Amino acid sequence: MQKTLRRYAAVFVLPTAVAFTVAFLIPFLMGIYLSFTEFTTVTNAKWVGFSNYLRVFRDSSDFTNAFWFTAKFTVVSVVLVNLFAFSLAMLLTRGIRGTNVFRTVFFMPNLIGGIVLGYIWQLIINGVLSWFMVDITFSASYGFWGLVILMNWQLTGYMMIIYIAAIQNIPSDLLEAAAIDGASPRQVLRNVILPMVMPAVTICTFLTLTNSFKLFDQNFALTGGAPGRETAMLALDIYNTFYGRVGYEGMGQSKAVLFFIMVAAIAYLQLRATRDREVENA
Amino acid sequence: MAGITLKNVVKTYGPEATVIPGMDLEIRDKEFLILVGPSGCGKSTTLRMIAGLEEVSSGELYIGDRLVNDVAPKDRDIAMVFQSYALYPHMTVYKNMAFGLELRKTPKEEIDSKVREAAKMLDLERYLDRKPRSLSGGQRQRVALGRAMVRSPEVFLLDEPLSNLDARLRTEMRSQIGELHRRLQTTFVYVTHDQTEAMTMADRIAVLKDGVIQQADTPKKLYNEPCNMFVAGFIGSPQMNFIEARLEKGEGDDWYLNSGALAMQVPSGRFSGERLQKYAGTTIIVGIRPEDVISVDSHRYKESDGLIRGQVQTAEMTGAEVYLTILTSGGSRVMARVSSRIMPQVGDEITLAADGDKLHLFDRETEQAIR
Amino acid sequence: MTGKEKKAARRVLFVWLVFLAAVFVAPILVVLLNSFKGQFYITDEPFRLPTAETFVGLTNYAAGIAKTGFWQAFGYSLFITVCSVGVIVLFTAMTAWYITRVKSRPARIFYYLLVFSMIVPFQMVMFTMSKLANMLGLDNPAGIVFIYLGFGAGLSVFLFSGFVRAIPEEIEEAAMIDGCNPIQMFFLVVFPMLRPTAVTIAILNTMWIWNDYLLPYLVIGNKYKTIPIAVQYLQGGYGSRDMGALMALLVLSIVPIIVFYLTCQKHIIKGVAAGAVKG
Repeated sequence: MQKTLRRYAAVFVLPTAVAFTVAFLIPFLMGIYLSFTEFTTVTNAKWVGFSNYLRVFRDSSDFTNAFWFTAKFTVVSVVLVNLFAFSLAMLLTRGIRGTNVFRTVFFMPNLIGGIVLGYIWQLIINGVLSWFMVDITFSASYGFWGLVILMNWQLTGYMMIIYIAAIQNIPSDLLEAAAIDGASPRQVLRNVILPMVMPAVTICTFLTLTNSFKLFDQNFALTGGAPGRETAMLALDIYNTFYGRVGYEGMGQSKAVLFFIMVAAIAYLQLRATRDREVENA
Repeated sequence: MAGITLKNVVKTYGPEATVIPGMDLEIRDKEFLILVGPSGCGKSTTLRMIAGLEEVSSGELYIGDRLVNDVAPKDRDIAMVFQSYALYPHMTVYKNMAFGLELRKTPKEEIDSKVREAAKMLDLERYLDRKPRSLSGGQRQRVALGRAMVRSPEVFLLDEPLSNLDARLRTEMRSQIGELHRRLQTTFVYVTHDQTEAMTMADRIAVLKDGVIQQADTPKKLYNEPCNMFVAGFIGSPQMNFIEARLEKGEGDDWYLNSGALAMQVPSGRFSGERLQKYAGTTIIVGIRPEDVISVDSHRYKESDGLIRGQVQTAEMTGAEVYLTILTSGGSRVMARVSSRIMPQVGDEITLAADGDKLHLFDRETEQAIR
Repeated sequence: MTGKEKKAARRVLFVWLVFLAAVFVAPILVVLLNSFKGQFYITDEPFRLPTAETFVGLTNYAAGIAKTGFWQAFGYSLFITVCSVGVIVLFTAMTAWYITRVKSRPARIFYYLLVFSMIVPFQMVMFTMSKLANMLGLDNPAGIVFIYLGFGAGLSVFLFSGFVRAIPEEIEEAAMIDGCNPIQMFFLVVFPMLRPTAVTIAILNTMWIWNDYLLPYLVIGNKYKTIPIAVQYLQGGYGSRDMGALMALLVLSIVPIIVFYLTCQKHIIKGVAAGAVKG
């Protein structure tokens, strides 16, 4: 089959390959190249070496602020989302009436697009804050917590589903054995349930981590970065660099490359951590 | 209707990985030929080369008079039954069987009649609308057979089709497949690692080891006249006993002596004196099947048969017979298969005889039979 | 716990869940209510129910639809999503099958590149890609489908590959002997066996593409609007924004996705759980 199939490469692979090259590969390589240049359009690029990268940190603290904001936000989100999701999953695996309806309700926010989400919560948060005569752009921490709330609303349901599947996969005889051994619910949780759902924890952590770190739409809609640029996360900062003013495209590109390196590093670390843990369990 | 010819067929997967060094085999038209051998001997590879699923590295492969080395499987007029049945899970039994015909643009009525005919022959009529996942192993097996039959190919290829079935089903299916062969009058090439299967079903058997055909013959001939130790040990269960013995020349006839297990005269007529002469004074291997190690009370016993004395180590009763392992005074272990009328106990001293008419002699170095 | 205690505990749990569910649904309800209020009564008191004074019926909806060309936006979102998802599922399945069965060097390299692309954040390529799309004339709804194929290929090929590997090669060999050429083999034998995976991948891609803002905005945004772009459009500019229209538009944006979800619920949930395992 191999031999005959090879002749059909054009049919099976070419469309994907061409689309991939045009939409991703070339832009990616161009992006790396351009990060070392100063340019306004792709054709008039002037090589400037690492100066763009240096400017990223020297010219303003936007990027560094965005980094810390993003990092804090990510950590908080990962912890909270997984905590809520897991708790909900535990509640929804008791066979209570209407479990399916609850599942639907908790998952639904995940379907809604980032921009729409941002405006929904902007309305609500501003509505609450108006009692105190302020709005979300008053302080960066309002924006921060607003985003955290939004993130939890959006992601908890998704992660909950994964946890539910993991919990349901725990062999019932393990739980029965624990009950016979006289374990209290907390002990069961710690010694039986948690270890068994570890793979799900890994996956959910990874998903919340990457989703939080790369967040754009919601950030854009909810605060737009206000006040000033203080609530701009990394993705939004890069966007602003490109499209906020003219003349900073090279810097935008180098910020993007740095962003990519960060995301890749996170993915790599996660992979290593999972693999080590899997080796442990094996 | 076609026979299959392999002329110096070689299969390699790379410079250091030659699986089949050069095979010559003639499979006659309408014959039921079984390729048998231990895992990794190349029997499946050979079958797949005939099917066209593996490329022939060098040599010639003929189906009928056609050279088919570069012919695609679908144009070789063959059909194959896989060990795992390989049924299309998303198609009904009917569709599974009709698929090949549909691809060849066979008219609908013809497809229908052929499928139903095969279904009838294989007792699958009730299952035509079912999907494979709701069928048992035996039923799936029959669908696989039906799929192959419906195409009326020149050659049927079967790759260990019964290996995934339980023992009782296997025996049942064995006779069904044999019956099928008789009805269809088509060449069957069958692969198995189970020598019992081979012995009961085949017209001829080709025993393979490391990609080389050791012997290709009728079951009877393989059993009675194995050409080397491998074939002798592979065919027949339990395995043939191999005992080292010195061949000494006596007066006129030769006779031999063993280090304690056996001492007897070589029956005249069965072995050429010339060949024996070459081994005079050397150690050779004597082969005797457990079923040919007989009780001295047996009607087969003759005075010239050598005696085997020893202590019973194990005794496994299988109903009509007992399998005994005997430890001789020389330290050899001999297995015997005798009638359970004897019923020896473990630890008993026992004297049995080696039926001289069923002796096999082998060269100790080359492992070839001495005739 | 005794039976009675258990029952009571269950009831408490139930009430607690109802409460949480209400909290979860509340934001949507708030938006819904506000969409029926006059635009100046929203920002300051979003939690007040519409009164006779503030109730404006469907005015906001009419305004929102008119200002953003919502129906066109809906049409474009639908066209782009459906076509992109269809194209992605078809071509990535084919590519995944080819790469898994043909173990040539170029195929393997392509696979690694695809997997690699899953890690790269959009910001890395957004500027160059939109300019390139512009240069190649891909800045239209049909062109963006092509771009989505290139972008969505990574994840989809990766997921498909896992499932293609699970298909026993013997089935394909049987099909070869039955007489299939590669195209027949793929459409008649392989793809039907991949159907469950295809559904999952279709759902994942639908959710991504339907809600996508940045990519369409950069590539076709100045000439065509999708729903997310339309929503953002109401926001743009430094003048005041019509909150009423915004509320209405938010509701209109949510409705299709909820309908989609309620119809395919089972598959979506199954897909989420399954996709996570592969991840």
